[in-house]
Amino acid sequence: MTDQTLAVENLAVRYGGVTAVRSVSFTVAPGQSVGLIGANGAGKTSTLRALMGLVPRAGGTVRFGSRDLGRVAARNMVRLGIGYVPEGRHVFAGLPVEKNLLLGAYASGWGPECREALASVYELFPVLAQMRGRLAGALSGGQQQMLAIGRALMARPVLLLLDEPSMGLSPKLVEVILGALQRLRGEGLSLLLVEQNAMLTFEVTSESIVLENGEVAMTGTSAALRADPRIRRIYLGL
Amino acid sequence: MSTVLTPFRVRLLGLAVLAVVAWLLPYRLNIYWISVADTALLFALLAIGMGLVMGIAGQVNLAQIAFFGVGAYATAILTTHDGYGFWVAALLAMVAAVLAGLVAGVPALRIQSHYLGIVTLGLAVAFVDWITNAPVTGGDSGISGIPTPPLFGIDLTSQYLYYYLELVVLALGLLFGLFVVRTPLGRRMRAMRDDALAAGAAGAEIGVLRMMAFGLASVYGGAAGVLYAGLIHYVAPETFSIADMFLLLAMVIIGGRQSLAGCVIGAVGLTVAQQELTNLAAYAQLGYGVVVVAVVVFAPAGLVGIPARLRRRRVRSVAALEAFQPSMLGGAEGRAEASAAAVAVPKGRRFPPWLQAGRAPRRLPSRRGGDSRRGSKPAERSEALARRKTQRGLGAEGRGAVPGVLLSVSGLVMRFRGVTALDDVSLEVRAGEILGVVGPNGSGKTTLFNVISGLYRPSGGSVRFAGRSIAGARSYRISQLGIARTFQHLRLFRHLTVLDNVLVSMDRTRSWWSWRYICWPFGVWRYDHALRSRALALLRGFGLAGFASALPAELPYGIQRRLEIARALASSPRLLLLDEPAAGLNGDEQRQLAGIVRAIRDSGVTVMIIEHNMGLVMSLCERVVVLDSGAVIASGEPGEVARDPAVLEAYLGKSALPGLPVPEASP
Amino acid sequence: MQSFFQTLVSGLSFGAVYALVALGFSLVYRTMGLVNFAHGAVLMIGAYVASTFYLSARLPFVAAVPAAMAVTSAVGLVIERVLRPLENRDFDLMLIGTIGAGTVLEAVAILIWSSSGRGVPSPVRTAPLIVGGVRIGTYNLVVIGVVAVAMAALTLFLQHTKRGAAMQAVAMDHEAATAVGIHVGRSNAIAFAIGAGLAALAGSLASPMLYVSPTMGDSLGIQGFAAAILGGFGSIPGAIVGGLGIGVIGSFAAQWFQGYSDLVTFVVFTVLVMIKPTGIFGERTVSRA
Repeated sequence: MTDQTLAVENLAVRYGGVTAVRSVSFTVAPGQSVGLIGANGAGKTSTLRALMGLVPRAGGTVRFGSRDLGRVAARNMVRLGIGYVPEGRHVFAGLPVEKNLLLGAYASGWGPECREALASVYELFPVLAQMRGRLAGALSGGQQQMLAIGRALMARPVLLLLDEPSMGLSPKLVEVILGALQRLRGEGLSLLLVEQNAMLTFEVTSESIVLENGEVAMTGTSAALRADPRIRRIYLGL
Repeated sequence: MSTVLTPFRVRLLGLAVLAVVAWLLPYRLNIYWISVADTALLFALLAIGMGLVMGIAGQVNLAQIAFFGVGAYATAILTTHDGYGFWVAALLAMVAAVLAGLVAGVPALRIQSHYLGIVTLGLAVAFVDWITNAPVTGGDSGISGIPTPPLFGIDLTSQYLYYYLELVVLALGLLFGLFVVRTPLGRRMRAMRDDALAAGAAGAEIGVLRMMAFGLASVYGGAAGVLYAGLIHYVAPETFSIADMFLLLAMVIIGGRQSLAGCVIGAVGLTVAQQELTNLAAYAQLGYGVVVVAVVVFAPAGLVGIPARLRRRRVRSVAALEAFQPSMLGGAEGRAEASAAAVAVPKGRRFPPWLQAGRAPRRLPSRRGGDSRRGSKPAERSEALARRKTQRGLGAEGRGAVPGVLLSVSGLVMRFRGVTALDDVSLEVRAGEILGVVGPNGSGKTTLFNVISGLYRPSGGSVRFAGRSIAGARSYRISQLGIARTFQHLRLFRHLTVLDNVLVSMDRTRSWWSWRYICWPFGVWRYDHALRSRALALLRGFGLAGFASALPAELPYGIQRRLEIARALASSPRLLLLDEPAAGLNGDEQRQLAGIVRAIRDSGVTVMIIEHNMGLVMSLCERVVVLDSGAVIASGEPGEVARDPAVLEAYLGKSALPGLPVPEASP
Repeated sequence: MQSFFQTLVSGLSFGAVYALVALGFSLVYRTMGLVNFAHGAVLMIGAYVASTFYLSARLPFVAAVPAAMAVTSAVGLVIERVLRPLENRDFDLMLIGTIGAGTVLEAVAILIWSSSGRGVPSPVRTAPLIVGGVRIGTYNLVVIGVVAVAMAALTLFLQHTKRGAAMQAVAMDHEAATAVGIHVGRSNAIAFAIGAGLAALAGSLASPMLYVSPTMGDSLGIQGFAAAILGGFGSIPGAIVGGLGIGVIGSFAAQWFQGYSDLVTFVVFTVLVMIKPTGIFGERTVSRA
């Protein structure tokens, strides 16, 4: 496999007259898991959406391996091996769980590989197997989150972008998600995790980037950041 | 000053020229063309009605042709069957048309857009169905022998003379329409069109406005129908078909539905074009169908909108943001006096009981500010009215009010489809404080505001404002009681100027105040004028006076945010809810914002503010309430709250597996 | 009693046609959020094209109809392409744009086929069935049968094919659909084409039952639209129930109220829509500040 490093340089995002992201640069190497944290409005979600091409970029470059993602349409990201789990889950509410998962493999087809992928998702999240015939809209928040992650996994991505997977979930469910993410890490999947929940991020990722007002305020290993009192200031204005 | 050609004077001149041309036109037209002109004027009248209901009020109305038909048929039936005189029949026909309009307006209370389109279209189809079948309407052959309207001995069987009758009616109709558009009623309708939610929060009673819009449309439709009956002396179903409805729609769209002049131009233009292409009717239809699609895709504002678009493209905003002047807001007294000076009530009227202040009248100082150079007599007489309006802001309280507590939320629960957004929330807002509401994403802060401001009806619990229960009350009612708000994602009225945005909120009249439009328009004009002075003063205070005639989209983001706050303040609230006012602002702008908020509080308004920017919250708020997952987890002074471990956990997150070592950094 | 069943049968066969029209509306609405006021006109074009193939080109009816569907689907694709900039943005403008498109189609029909209209003889010439004293026209049965098959085919397509699932996904969440690799624009175009095809089928089937004229789409379009709203915009079972409902109501209204049937249907429909604006099977939408 060619070097599938995600390299973001001086990314800027503007919409509705607001500069959501002024300048952000970072990399995610193959197999690495990186957290993108910061207070609300810091520009985390905008960064992710700009990477996916769902929101236009006002400046900077994004490369995945040797490819310039600026030339790739949003719908083709999945074909390059980039999976996306949006903020707020966004499952296909009127379709059954299994159909949701199958749609995750839309780009790669519904052949035998798809069946294997389905089996491994059910193994990762057994509760989805139990609910496979239920409409996605009837699932609880946590189950929908698992479904959204599972759907993204169906395309066998090499890099998974997750936007606030823990939002609105009880601690118990957050544990489950956490466990799943750690397992995926173990299997070599690269992760870019956007989270408001800093502590959770430190447990899943090896490095983290702290955004503040659309710029990188701090970076470091999760171990170092966890102990750093400046984090508190950034989040709580103290 | 007197010889400068201002845009207003140019327009006035143009209008005068047009009026002269219109008056002299019949002398140049032969019998064929005068009948075309007569038809064109009728369509123009119909088009104005369409423009008012669709372009101004934003209501889809495909029943206009039915109002036209009701007017025409009612006149026909009443004169031929029941032997009424023409004008009596005309009056009754107008009543019938308005009733039809109100009937069409009822669905608009619950449904909008395409649903409303199909229902109104169905009404039109039903009407055609009825006139084609009912014996009283003569079925397919229609009714003939409608008498000519008698008018002071003028022979109106002549199409030339009838032209002048129509012209006068059209002119009156156009002037009235323009009057409505540029005064409080029209402004509220335009606000409703642009953003019904924000309009409701600014005090507009949406349901009533929609009915009024349909009523207006039916007045014009009915009038056109009456004139049609008197002109042609014959009515038959084919004039009121769906095809003609779509033709009328095309006229309004191509001309420009948001401009009454555009509607008239579209009507006249298309009528003439149709006549020119009588032998090629199908090509004509093809033509205007294609033009409608083209206009909709490329120039949604219609033909009239094109010069404006070009003009705006060339002119870059030269205005600058001026400094915020807290003194312009004045203290509570200053505001009361400003409203006393500005709200003019007609001379010599005795105030009905509801206008008298409920309490002992306050003696207001006679100091006059710069915005009240208008005569002092009406101003003094209106003190009672102003006092009544500001008493609410200065101490009128309901039963059960606890001294010092302005808003009291108790056990509030809000559930959406199984998700509990607010879980037993209780808090108090003390009069005169700046209270911060903070919490991580999804904790329920905006939901809380939405319940307080009446956008949502709570599933349980109570909300009391100055002792009065407001839980479940409609948002316009809550706005009238004295709560104003801004929105997380800006909700400015995008087709209204900066000044108009503020004016909508500043207008505190109730819907039924609008009867003055028919009986006492001068009062409306005077009120509007006074309102404008006050609004300009407010804009000056906010440093926005230079932008008064700009559209929100032309303004930089920070200025739009400031405008939304100015708009909220324009309604003279006692409690101001600010939802993430600092979102997207840079450091400088945030500092200015803090200054503005403090000045607002100093002028007597209590402020409740949702913010994520903790630095801002710390410096601005005296007290802070922290929400997490819909519940209050802490409240108190910012300093203490920030050190509270529960709060830290809510924000930074809880370690899910505290014992586990942190992952190794990659090599 | 016999007359009751007679009216019912007639209502059901018209209802089947309305259901088909409603289906086309619903499909387009579900996938694109677009209310297509040109649907009736598209239906009319389908009827004309089918009758031209059947009468002038002397194609057998079974071949004329699919051919008409193909031609009309192409027309649908053109309309979608032209109105694409407005999709999911301004509802009112979109509405007016489709009205404009409908006007254009009607004008084209007049230019090609003249405004006088034509009658189409029933393609089925067998004698009507008599069941328990009730006359059931064979063609009526054919219509009901074809519509049932079309519904089944559509359901199969939506539930069991990748493309169909993609179309539904786009309707529910077009961003998530993009994230899994679906081409939203193409999906919408196909939805529109299918919708147009269904309209053409409805028009073709209705042509022996009604008079084919450039304005036939108005009434049928409104009835079908009303059926879609009644059953719940965006729901297939809803389109069926709504269509049959409108058909039966209309049939009885014609029986009891003679010429006022449209009026009665409209009144009934308005009252029902006011009570439950989202229709019998429809979903509520939540507005947010």
